[in-house]
Amino acid sequence: MYQALLTRKYLTTKIMPLLAIAAVTLSVATVLVTWSVMGGFLNTLLTSGRSMIGDVSIYWPNVGFPYYDELCERLEKDPRIKAACPIIESFGVIALPDDQVHGVMVKGIDGTRFARVTDYERTLWWRPLDRPMPKDTDRVDPRLGTDKGYFAGEDWAARLEAGLTLTEPDGSAAAVPGIELSGWNIRLPSGVYIPGAPQRPGRDGKARGINLFLPDGEITLHLMPLDKTGRGVEMVTRTVPVANEFHSGIYEADSQVVFVRFDLVQRMLNMDEAERIERPESPFVFNPKTGRLEEAHTEVIGVDPARATTVLVRAADGVPVHSEEDIEAFRGVCESIYAEFAADHAGEVPGSGSILVRSWRDMNRTMISAVEKETGLVLFVFGLVCFTTVFLVLAIFWSMVSEKTKDIGILRALGGSTAGITWLWLRYGGAVGAVGSGLGLLAAWIVVRNINEIHQWLGDNLGLVIWDPSVYYFFKIPSDMDWQKAVVVVAAGVGTCLFGAALPALRAGLMDPVRALRFE
Amino acid sequence: MNETAPIISATDVHKTYRMGRVRVPVLKGVSLGIAPGEWVAVLGASGSGKSTLLHLLGGLDRPDKTDKKNGSARIEFEGRALGRMSRGELDRYRATRIGFVFQFYHLLPELRVLENVTVGAMVRHGRLGYTRHRKEIVNRASGLLEAFGLGHRLRHRPGELSGGERQRVAIARALINEPRVLLADEPTGNLDRATGESILDAIDDLRERLGLTIIMVTHDQHVAERAERVIRLEDGVIAANNAPPKKNILRT
Repeated sequence: MYQALLTRKYLTTKIMPLLAIAAVTLSVATVLVTWSVMGGFLNTLLTSGRSMIGDVSIYWPNVGFPYYDELCERLEKDPRIKAACPIIESFGVIALPDDQVHGVMVKGIDGTRFARVTDYERTLWWRPLDRPMPKDTDRVDPRLGTDKGYFAGEDWAARLEAGLTLTEPDGSAAAVPGIELSGWNIRLPSGVYIPGAPQRPGRDGKARGINLFLPDGEITLHLMPLDKTGRGVEMVTRTVPVANEFHSGIYEADSQVVFVRFDLVQRMLNMDEAERIERPESPFVFNPKTGRLEEAHTEVIGVDPARATTVLVRAADGVPVHSEEDIEAFRGVCESIYAEFAADHAGEVPGSGSILVRSWRDMNRTMISAVEKETGLVLFVFGLVCFTTVFLVLAIFWSMVSEKTKDIGILRALGGSTAGITWLWLRYGGAVGAVGSGLGLLAAWIVVRNINEIHQWLGDNLGLVIWDPSVYYFFKIPSDMDWQKAVVVVAAGVGTCLFGAALPALRAGLMDPVRALRFE
Repeated sequence: MNETAPIISATDVHKTYRMGRVRVPVLKGVSLGIAPGEWVAVLGASGSGKSTLLHLLGGLDRPDKTDKKNGSARIEFEGRALGRMSRGELDRYRATRIGFVFQFYHLLPELRVLENVTVGAMVRHGRLGYTRHRKEIVNRASGLLEAFGLGHRLRHRPGELSGGERQRVAIARALINEPRVLLADEPTGNLDRATGESILDAIDDLRERLGLTIIMVTHDQHVAERAERVIRLEDGVIAANNAPPKKNILRT
């Protein structure tokens, strides 16, 4: 009982325990903020990683594989699968209206089908807005109102529709690049993009301002079709109108991917349906009727079906695909369906042993693994730094036990036992840990909840930009507290203090009461 | 136990302290007996072993082990040897049978006056016991402080009290568990004469009202004269023991 009373009194009347509490608070807050942000970073990565690639991808690069629509039908018959769609992936080069040239990943998609497998529709940026975005306090979003310069009269609903179907109103195929690709869009701190007026070198070598809205323009797309041996045939170039831009939240995708209507990419890469012909051995053949040599004609011997490089699959709602085990099980389902498909088209499609059936985790494995390792490393380093709190608490408590030697002697004279005195100091350490950890938890929660605002303030006032989206993939710092981790860190904070207080507590308990009473 | 049987006694008690590599004998064979309700003053110069004797009688320290051939050294309380008590029993002995009062009061500076008194009961009863008897303990502590003229000081801290007031708080703390013996180590040593006298009056009053046994260490002849019996310690041995005839139990 006296331990509780003295713990409360010592906590509220002494400076030194406040220092220990401050140290514990800082340590707990540091570890929690780091763990929450890094953990949130990983979670965002995992969630966003799936947003544009579905759950499983069946992939045969370069030349692709035929009968993809049949495969999609077979897949969609399985109740565990919500949808499947074919896409064509190829590296390409695009030229923007300001003559910038970018190497890009071109994805040929049927927008509507693609949107059933991925979050494509949600990522289309230029769309009608009923109200300003929450952080757009200055109402600078050009989609608001009608009197916005050259946006006046812009039909945002039509933009959305064109982006979804990748088809212009006149029926021509269109492209949807990532919103960071052109470099024309300026992302404001509020998260809103506005078309900027970047300076570009003109043909005369002088800088000139470009004031363009990319969806009003065109891009020139260069693709290299490959033959069956994987060798390039001849560069194909088309000019394609831009229907919209997408914003997935993954900087890598937003700055390097261009979606183009499926049939156009298929044609440009020579992957559309084609007649299979047989060339004669000699350019001339002898015509026995006329007795003359005549030009030999190629002979149509069949039809090569259209091909796609990839079929993306999305699991049905309620089918778990988040954990490693779950997604592996789902991948197995897709693999077995493909095996049946391959058996029915033996010799025409890659065998089930050759085709690449990859989960979203497989496709993001390098990135996920890197972030997981980075998180572990950062936590280890911070944990090590915070472990010094043990020694800080030990030093403070050792000093306090010395200061309170006479009190210990008095308590022993009053009948206090060795165990009772030890418990007093251990309990005191635990209280310092509990209060410090509690405050640390509160501080971490406040920081994590407001980390984007804090970061913004640091940037605005001190020029300190820690979270560069071009480095960290995401535009927004994850700001969710994981309460399970919080419990672990708080428990570790209390444990650290108990550990640090153990030796001084033992010293206090074992103190000779006579010496303690005579202590000057 | 008959009327003259000692409540506390010491037989051939030795105590040596080690100061670095030097052994310093403080008590060199002290024997005494104190009757229940007796007020005994232990008088001696500084370093004569008075406080050491008090600590040994109070179970705060243990005497030296004497050699087996001649050794019969022991301290007894109501016939029970302290040397045979376990640590826990000694703790309980101090908590229930003994009340300590020190020269420099030794109050806990963070606690208020009332808490300084009740803390002794907290040590004795533990959490459950204290919670169960909290009301009566607080009433008793308040009553003791009232009796010492400190009823208006219950919520003050020791730093806000005079020396005499602090010593009265210390006496109240020593009495909170209703001990049989009060061990006072120079209780007036840090007070002016008038305040010291008032403290001695209070102790005398307690002895008469409660039948408390009082062993008071002092180096002040005048203070010692207030006691019924004076034991003079010189160089670790009892040089004089002018016990009143009725209560003389043991002599060295």
